[in-house]
Formats: sequence, C-alpha cells, structure tokens
Amino acid sequence: MNAILVKPRAAVAAAKTYYRHHKSRLNRIVAQVAIYVFLITISYVFLYPILRMVSISFMSASDLVNPEVDWFPTKITFANYGVAWTVLKGEVSLFNSIRYSGLMAIFQTIVSALTGFAFARYEFRGKKLLYTILLLSFIIPVPILLITQYNMFNSFFQSIGWTGEGKGIGTYDAQLVMAFFGQGVNSAILIMIFVNFFKMIPNDLYEAGKIDGANPFQLFWHITIRLSLSTIVVVFLFSFVWNWNEDYVTKFLVGDGILLFTNQLGKFDSLFQTRTTGMTHPDAGGEIQLVESFKMAATVVSIIPLLLLYFVGQKSFVQGIEKTGITGE
Amino acid sequence: MTELAKNRTLKALTGESRIENQNKIAYLFILPWLLGFLAFVIYPLFQTIYNTLFKITTTSLGLVYDYNLIDKGGNYGTAFRNLYFFPQMLDFVIMEATYVPTIIIVAFILAILLNTGVKGQGFFRVIFFLPVIIMSGPITGILYWNGAGGLLTYEDNVIFKMILSYSPGFAEALAGLFANFTMVLWFTGIPIILFINALQKINVNLYEAARIDGANNWQILWKIKVPIVRPTAFVTAIFTIVQLGTYTGNPVFYLIQNSIYDRGAGIGLASTFATIYSLVVFLLVGVAYLLLGRPERTKKIQLSSIQRDRMEALAVRRAKAKQRTATTR
Repeated sequence: MNAILVKPRAAVAAAKTYYRHHKSRLNRIVAQVAIYVFLITISYVFLYPILRMVSISFMSASDLVNPEVDWFPTKITFANYGVAWTVLKGEVSLFNSIRYSGLMAIFQTIVSALTGFAFARYEFRGKKLLYTILLLSFIIPVPILLITQYNMFNSFFQSIGWTGEGKGIGTYDAQLVMAFFGQGVNSAILIMIFVNFFKMIPNDLYEAGKIDGANPFQLFWHITIRLSLSTIVVVFLFSFVWNWNEDYVTKFLVGDGILLFTNQLGKFDSLFQTRTTGMTHPDAGGEIQLVESFKMAATVVSIIPLLLLYFVGQKSFVQGIEKTGITGE
Repeated sequence: MTELAKNRTLKALTGESRIENQNKIAYLFILPWLLGFLAFVIYPLFQTIYNTLFKITTTSLGLVYDYNLIDKGGNYGTAFRNLYFFPQMLDFVIMEATYVPTIIIVAFILAILLNTGVKGQGFFRVIFFLPVIIMSGPITGILYWNGAGGLLTYEDNVIFKMILSYSPGFAEALAGLFANFTMVLWFTGIPIILFINALQKINVNLYEAARIDGANNWQILWKIKVPIVRPTAFVTAIFTIVQLGTYTGNPVFYLIQNSIYDRGAGIGLASTFATIYSLVVFLLVGVAYLLLGRPERTKKIQLSSIQRDRMEALAVRRAKAKQRTATTR
C-alpha cells in the first residue's frame, strides 16, 4: 500500500529535483529555439519580396492568372528574362550603369580620402565648425538643393556652349562635377569612414616620414593610402552601390539622356509597349497584368550585379558601416 | 647635420600635440570639398529659399523673377491652397512618426538577439543587410506597387478592428505600417549593424557588476543596454528620417518630384514646396534630438548621513577582509 503511494511521490520528487537541477539549461534551450524561430521568421519577411520576385519572374502568363499557382510555376520559363533584357536594352544600360557608377565612385573615393585626411590629421582654423557642417549637411533634403543645382548647371552649360547630344544636362556631366567636388551621394558618410580610419594610424609613422623629408602629399600617399587599402575598397564599394541605386538626382540631371538600369526599370511599362512591338514573346496577350513577370525578371536582372558585388565584398560592407564610427565614441 | 635641420628634427620629435597646426596644407586638402560644399549646398540652399518669394518664369533670356509674396501670399498661399500638398505632408509626418520608432525598435531587438551569440549570426547579418545594397527607387517602387511589401493580413484581426472602432486615425497609421511591413524592415539594415556595434562595445564587467548586485537580464537590458545605445538610436533616427525622405513610398515624394519637373508651374512654387518640406524634415530631426539626442542628466544621489556611515563601515570591513585573505595566503 505504502509502496504504491510512495512510488509516484518519489517520481514527482525526482522530476522536481531533475527540473531544479536542469532548469537553467532547459530555459536556455527554450530561449535558443525561440530566438532561432524569431530570427528565421524575420529573415523570411526580409527576403519575401525578393523570393516573390524571383518566383514570379519564372512564371508564364497562365501561371500568373492561375489561382492554384502560388510560389512554384508549373513550368519554369526563362523567356521572361529574354524579354526583360530587350526592354531594358541590357547591353547598353548594363555597360552605362557600370561605367558611370564606377566613375562616380572613383571621384567620390578620391575626394573623400583627401577631405578625411585633413580632418583626421590636421588641426586648422574652423575645423570643428566645418566638421559639424559636414555632418549636418547630411540631413538637408535633396529636393531643396536640386532645384537650384539644376538651374545652375543648365545656365552654366548653356553659357559655355556645352549643350546638345551627349553634352550638358541629360548626361552625367553635372553629377560628375558634383562628385568631384565631394557632393555625391552620401558623401558625408564616406568622409566619416575615412576620418575614423585615418585617426587610427599612429602618429609615429608620420613623424618618421617627416624626418626623412617627406612633404604632406608624400605622407598622404606613401603612409595613409598605402595603409588604408581595405578602407578604400569599402568606400569605393559603398559609393558604387549608392550611385548605382541613386535615382532621385539622376532623374533630373540625366533624365532619359543615358540608358541606365535604374531609369529603364523606372518606366518599364511604357518601354515595354514600344520596345517589344513586332517581337514575338511567349505571352502576346497585351493585358496589363501580364507585364508582371517581365517586370520582375527585369528587376532581378538589374539587381544581379549588386548581388554579385555583395556576396564578394559582403564583409567589407558591414565593416564599412562599423567604421563610420557614428555609433558614438 | 646643420643646426637648422637639427632643430627641426628636435621639434618634430618633441612635438607635443599629436596633430599639428598647419592651416594652409589642411585647407589645401579639403579645398575640393569646401568649394563643392559652398557651390552645391550652401548656395543652392539659400537660392531655393530666396526663390520662394518670386514667381519665376522661364524665357529665352533666362529666368525672370517677379516678386509676388504680397499677391495672395504668393507661392506660400498657393502651397496652402493646394489640395494635395498639406494632406500629403501630414501623411508624410505620420509615416515618419510610425516608421522611425518601429525601425529603431525592431533593429534594436534584432541586434540584441544577434548579439546573444546565436550560431549563424553572420548568416542572419548578411540577410538583414542585403536590402541596403539593392534598395533603389525603382525597385522599391515596383515591389511596393505589386504589394510584395505587405505580408501580414491585418484587416481581419480583432485587435485591429477594435482600434479601428475607437480611433480610425490611429488605425490608419497602423495600417500604413503593416501594409508595408517588409519595406519597413528593409530600412533596418544599417541600424542593426550600428546597434550590434554599440552593444559589442559595452564593457562586459558592467554586466558582471550588475549581476553581483542581483540584477536579472531584464534589468540589465533596461538599466545598461538601453541607456548606452541611446546615442546610436539618435544617429539611427536621423539616418532613417533622411532615408525615408527619398523613399518612393513617401506620400509627398511624387508631388515634390513632379513640381520640380513641371517647370511650367513655376520654379518658385516648386521651391516653396521643397522649402516647407525641408522645414518639416528639420523639425522631425529636432524632435528626434529632443527624444533621444540630449545628453542624459546624471542623477546625483543624495545619501543621508546614516547611509554614508553604513557604506563607509562596509568599505572598511571589505578592505579588512581583503587584507586578511591576502595575509593568510
């Protein structure tokens, strides 16, 4: 009688002690699982538009209107990509996008390095004020500057006779000039990355260089630049990506003058009508809904170069943001 | 070695300040940026504000300025009478007010979770940072209009209905948030990195000290982590406010863009829109400063004499105990 009663009690007690002993461990496992579930869910939400886009880009028109097809097309078709390439004029716009983003990035990197060097290395009159202004300039909204910038460049190009095909407004000239003078996309952040890195270079190196008779430009070139190649890569990559994605300023100063991935994608619908006439594409329906898969394919095409860059230089990008030092020290 | 060179070397070796005072050279280095800043930021900023006072017409001779502030409030009057501008500005403010806190909070939570040392931290970081690389106007535009940004079905939610019946305005703001929740998440890429960086810089001894004093994880979160990352939250807030300004889903985006583009309606009016818009953005940054950016006032704890005596006694006792253990060893 007693034995029967005792047994469950003992079992409960054993379970209780077991739980007490392993409580923290159990809790930790539960917490870990919860964290993973949460992170994976959030990752799914992050990637949802991209996954959706890739999935739709492989769908034929019948799949698009088929309510049973949600994620996986009944038959994977690559034809959408062909059409998308034609509509984007891929061979021209890919080249242009790379060329102009690269040029802008080179200009921005050089000027940011020079400016960053001065702020990190020298003590000069008005330094604090100028650095504050540099940081504040980041919050000035683009439209308020853009109106006058457009007028300035317009009248400037007209006064020097630099107008017409491939010149002046409608080309990248204005933006290249601004990038050269350190006013490109997010220039303030790029300069900040350099300032914070250059500050870490020990002063002894410069002293040694000076004793050997190097002038400031030699110091800059032989010490600072040689030591900060990784930072230069970071800044270049960021600048490249931001210029590639930039479309607010480009819309006004370049417009349709140059075919770029961003501006072609921006008016895909109208381009689709003109550039595919006379072309036999898989779903010659003409309904608006059917442009969907071509558009998604075009979007995929236009981000592939960026994705490649990201997966090659993934570490650099994250480090770049950490290097800005704007996390407050 | 000549006397002069010797002196110079001595000076270089004994120079007290790490950074030297060389105004001319420093200004030479920042010259391109400074020129660009004056020409492409300062001048356009004030010119655009000046423009708001005039009706500007484009003629073959150039721009003609007619002062028109007296005439029915000029451009400001027109802006106020515009059917869309102020409602859209209001929507913009509501959007910023809902998006920015959400972005900061979500980024902070994700940063804390990634900082707990879960395996695959790098993998999640890659996913969370990906949108920074591919986010551009046309792409967010396409994904936004195709509804890929909305993931959660909130309309049928009981809580949402309750909120709707009590306060339709608040419900609308919430709906705006949830309908684009993915897009909101896409803005957290850089904030997450900044927060992780800030969290990693917290001295581990602080946690230990808190634990010895009997604090649990929750208290550590609120008493240590949150106050320390507050400056980062401020930087994040500013960054997000600025980023949302050029976001395609921004309610006033098209109005301002079209007003700049449509030169027939007058550059004066476009300038007025841009100026009011910029003012609002500055106000938002100001609000962010008031909420997050002000240096925290350190509380001075007033100890009563008894408390002080007790603490002193405790310190003496501890010192004695330490001494004792030291001698026994």
